[in-house]
Amino acid sequence: MFSFILKRLLTAIPTLLILIIVSFILMHSAPGGPFTSERALPPQVEANINAKYGLDKPLHEQIFVYVKSIVLHFDFGPSFRYKDRSVNDLISDGFPVTLTYGSISALVAVLFGVTMGVIAALNHNTWKDYTALGFTFTAQVLPNFVMAPLLVLLFTLQLGWLPGGGWEGGKAQYIIMPVIALSTSYMATIARITRSSMLEVLNSNFIRTAKAKGLPYQRIVFKHALKPALLPVLSYMGPAMVGLITGSVIIDMYFSTGGIGVLFVNGALNRDYSTIMGITILVGTLTVLLNLVVDVLYAWIDPKIRY
Amino acid sequence: MKPFQKTLAAALVSSAIFMVGCSSDDDAAATSAAAPETKSGPTHPVTGETLAADQTFTYWALDEHSSLDPQIMEDTAGSDHARQLFEGLLSQDADGNLVPGVAETFTANADKTVYTFNLRKDAKWSNGDPVTANDFVYAWKRAVNPETASPYSWYMEIMNIVNGAEIIAGEAEVDSLGVKAVDDYTLEVTLTESLPYFPMMVNHSTVFPVHPATVEKFGAEWTKPENMVSNGAYKLTQHVVNERVEMVRNDQYWNNDATIIEKIVTIVVPDENQGLIRWKAGEFDRGPVPSGQFKSLKEEFGEQAVSAPRLCNYYYTFNVSDSGPEAFKDVRVRKALSYALDRSVITENILQAGQENAYTFTPSKTAGFTMPNVAYANMTQEERVAEAKKLLAEAGYGEGNPLKFSILYNTSEGHKQIATAMSQMWKSSLGVEATLNNMEWKTFLTERGEQNFELARGAWCGDYNEASTFLDLLRSQSGYNDGKYVNTEVDRLMDEAKTSADPNVQYTAIEQILADEMPVIPVYFYTTNFMLHDDVKGWPYNNIEQNWYARDLYKVAK
Amino acid sequence: MIVDQKKMENLADNLMAAEEVQGRSLWADAARRFSHNKAAIGGLVTLTLVVLFTLIGPSFAQWSNEEIDWAVLGQVKTMGAPSIESGHYFGTDELGRDLYSRVIQGTSISLMVGVIGSFVAVVVGTLYGAIAGYVGGRVDNFMMRLVDIFMSIPYMFVLILLLVIFGRSLNMLFIGIGLISWFDMSRIVRGQTLSIKNKEFIEAAVAAGVSNFTIIMRHIVPNLVGIVIVYASLLVPGFILAESFISFLGLGVQEPNTSWGALISEGARTMQYGTLWQIGFPLFFFTITLFSMFFIGDGLRDALDPKDR
Repeated sequence: MFSFILKRLLTAIPTLLILIIVSFILMHSAPGGPFTSERALPPQVEANINAKYGLDKPLHEQIFVYVKSIVLHFDFGPSFRYKDRSVNDLISDGFPVTLTYGSISALVAVLFGVTMGVIAALNHNTWKDYTALGFTFTAQVLPNFVMAPLLVLLFTLQLGWLPGGGWEGGKAQYIIMPVIALSTSYMATIARITRSSMLEVLNSNFIRTAKAKGLPYQRIVFKHALKPALLPVLSYMGPAMVGLITGSVIIDMYFSTGGIGVLFVNGALNRDYSTIMGITILVGTLTVLLNLVVDVLYAWIDPKIRY
Repeated sequence: MKPFQKTLAAALVSSAIFMVGCSSDDDAAATSAAAPETKSGPTHPVTGETLAADQTFTYWALDEHSSLDPQIMEDTAGSDHARQLFEGLLSQDADGNLVPGVAETFTANADKTVYTFNLRKDAKWSNGDPVTANDFVYAWKRAVNPETASPYSWYMEIMNIVNGAEIIAGEAEVDSLGVKAVDDYTLEVTLTESLPYFPMMVNHSTVFPVHPATVEKFGAEWTKPENMVSNGAYKLTQHVVNERVEMVRNDQYWNNDATIIEKIVTIVVPDENQGLIRWKAGEFDRGPVPSGQFKSLKEEFGEQAVSAPRLCNYYYTFNVSDSGPEAFKDVRVRKALSYALDRSVITENILQAGQENAYTFTPSKTAGFTMPNVAYANMTQEERVAEAKKLLAEAGYGEGNPLKFSILYNTSEGHKQIATAMSQMWKSSLGVEATLNNMEWKTFLTERGEQNFELARGAWCGDYNEASTFLDLLRSQSGYNDGKYVNTEVDRLMDEAKTSADPNVQYTAIEQILADEMPVIPVYFYTTNFMLHDDVKGWPYNNIEQNWYARDLYKVAK
Repeated sequence: MIVDQKKMENLADNLMAAEEVQGRSLWADAARRFSHNKAAIGGLVTLTLVVLFTLIGPSFAQWSNEEIDWAVLGQVKTMGAPSIESGHYFGTDELGRDLYSRVIQGTSISLMVGVIGSFVAVVVGTLYGAIAGYVGGRVDNFMMRLVDIFMSIPYMFVLILLLVIFGRSLNMLFIGIGLISWFDMSRIVRGQTLSIKNKEFIEAAVAAGVSNFTIIMRHIVPNLVGIVIVYASLLVPGFILAESFISFLGLGVQEPNTSWGALISEGARTMQYGTLWQIGFPLFFFTITLFSMFFIGDGLRDALDPKDR
């Protein structure tokens, strides 16, 4: 297992390098640049700005300089949009915010989702099944951008219980609504995957054998069925976790949390090259790492799995 | 020059009175003692209103500013911050008139090419250092220095400062800029040629001073709260990107005694409707009016829903370059489309916030600009539609040969509504088949800039309150003339206006040419719309540039 | 006692199943089980009604989806409410356009987006994931790192480039959706495949010399059907909402045409002003369609599960 992990970590390097190169080329081929504005800048002014940010060099040289400064100084460059900040600043300010509400949401979504899924599977095609699923469906069917204003209308304007947004360093009252809005959109998926794979496992031979042996039903479910049933949930949670902890633009927009979700989308819309690259690398790294974690967990769930 | 000196003199007098009225502590104390109020607490020194205990002004911002560095910033959100943190040579009062800032007075030589600003001696930076002429010289040189790469360096160029353009182009030394400190409190600016509206231009954030030692010490990091030294009525205490900016009163500010608002908080919420809910919940003092909602908010909240004219125009530009459609090279087609557009439907039924129908390119409220009498502005809509039908038929388009083109706009709810209404109007009145085409902002700008469009949306807000900030855009060589309209007469008149005693003559002539040739379809002139809780007083409703200063605001007790 | 009873029931079930398999094909068997699932049938009926509505609905419309009712424009709050008299059965949008016609037209676009997206996800995602998982080793590592890269690339620029190079069209919208739709699916399928390939029946097939491709198609994929169907139905809302982002960039649906995503986000914007019909009607159709798809997905899963008797 150790050599497997080591090997995977080594393959992460070329993976990220390819990601950087492809993203760099894509980004620069898209129309408009960071300094395209309503009124075209006078050519000399534009030349000065391009020179300052190194945009006057050929693309391959820019990529080389960029990668070099990351490797040597861990420096992701200055932001082209938020000119008072470096990308390192922006990410180290924004990422803890998204990481906080993202991981709490993930936890809530998994706990609720798996519980509902198991309840539904154990009561297959009964009213309990439909209620458990119906609850999570309803939560998922309301898109984030409907859920967020609804929550604020209810909890801030009508009831006056919670502040309508902000972060303030992550006080509890600022986290509640983002977590509700974000976790509900993952809950139903987790519940349904759990339900379906739980049903499949419950019908498999080894569970039948266990049943036939007369083991208590509860024990069968929690000791033997749940673990293998979580395998597809795990496959789903790998990429979903990346989505959760790299933030949701809707959450950052509606609750002004200042996370990296809105930073990334604004970065892309403003062609803030360095910020886009910084967050892309962060997303790429997390994707590779979390999928590695998932693969390791696979082997724990099903010891027969070999890579 | 005469009118400007007068305006300034008047402004100086009026502000002097104000200053006497509010800087005297004895008076203020006397007023509050005499006020037979049951509520305790201080009162406003001039009006005598009881002030609220909490003087925090919290306002909503749609978008995060790009920078807090006066020479680097380029957006409205940034200059809103800059006016609180920094003070330039001149400021504006509630009506938009120039009032003294760091400069107490200024004079100009006979041919108006050398301006001398006399700075006040009590102006200080937030660390206690005096604000001197050298700080301005440093900041202005910084703005044109190619190494600073200021996106607004061109502003220094249009200010006509000697060697400005050459320095930006890298052809002259930075030190050769036509600005110098005669002594610590005298700043002298030399222009290449006279510019009637020069004094108005020193009100812009690009020419605000910076504290040289701080900039040198911290480099790009100097605008962080822990490093920044500023000379305005407020100083920066917190800045979280995409969340908030906080400032508190700067006790080193020369007129600090007159400041009432203790703290300014800016919250970024990139969604107007969400911003409004939070204003309603009392989280913001100043909040947004989402597009199309002004009328009903006015009914619900009365005077708290504010609409004030703003120095911006909204228009559609024809692509008259070679890549544009053949039809648009025919002035009759351009006129027909402009005439058939019922602007009242857009302003009264869609926008509904007091916007003004536009028939000229320059907003009617621009200072010193008298609305020219363009013929089609005075017709009724029926007459205009009849004329449009006639013109279009003459150009050879009709039922058998309908005019077809596409409308390009950047994705936004408001732009979508206007473009949709326009296409439907043209369809029903002229039988024109216009297809809509939206794009995200940067793609839109690129496509428009490369003339890959037929009819495209445009809008411009004045950098200063004078017609040239708008009409410059339609010069043949302007970087914003995306329709590639070329008229040498317009260029000639614009050059002439620069030195004209009454530039309004040239501006009127240009507007007449635009009405005859219709290179753009003016649609409406903006208003500023926002929600302001009624305990906030002192808002400069009549300042058309909406340059507000938190030091003029105060909150009264409810 | 209870256990005994269960055992007996199981035994009886198994016996009956063994008998029935003689007379019925696998498909007929699945169809029978599906038809006994009330929720699934309810979903199927609802979905059919929604589709019928998009086909028949337009003939009752009194306004087209693009016409502005000038009398309503500017006073939508009072005049734009749903009414039989005015001919706006679902009311109007902020611009005075008939919501009934717009919902119908938006429904057809969004249904197409959902169906095409999940089709690509199922076909590409299943094959890609099954191959990676079954072959394993370096191929697996390579294929999955490729997916990691795809998932991390700033997708917005791909869409903008598509727009710039190919121009706007509905086909580009489907390509845009199809491009991203299969990543998650392939990861889930690969995970399941890793586990399935160690089962006895696969080992038996390998021992019998069955070719890899046949093993994947005949033995792996059928065992993935349950999770694939369920997950595909879960992806649908995501695709429908992704469409509005693609259209925001300029690649997808263009005004005056619309979609559920656009209608719901417009409605969400005006929710606080009391024009609730603007969110109510599109959200209603969106919701019932998704519920139907979820239940149909579950019904299909139950019906096709080879072990479920």
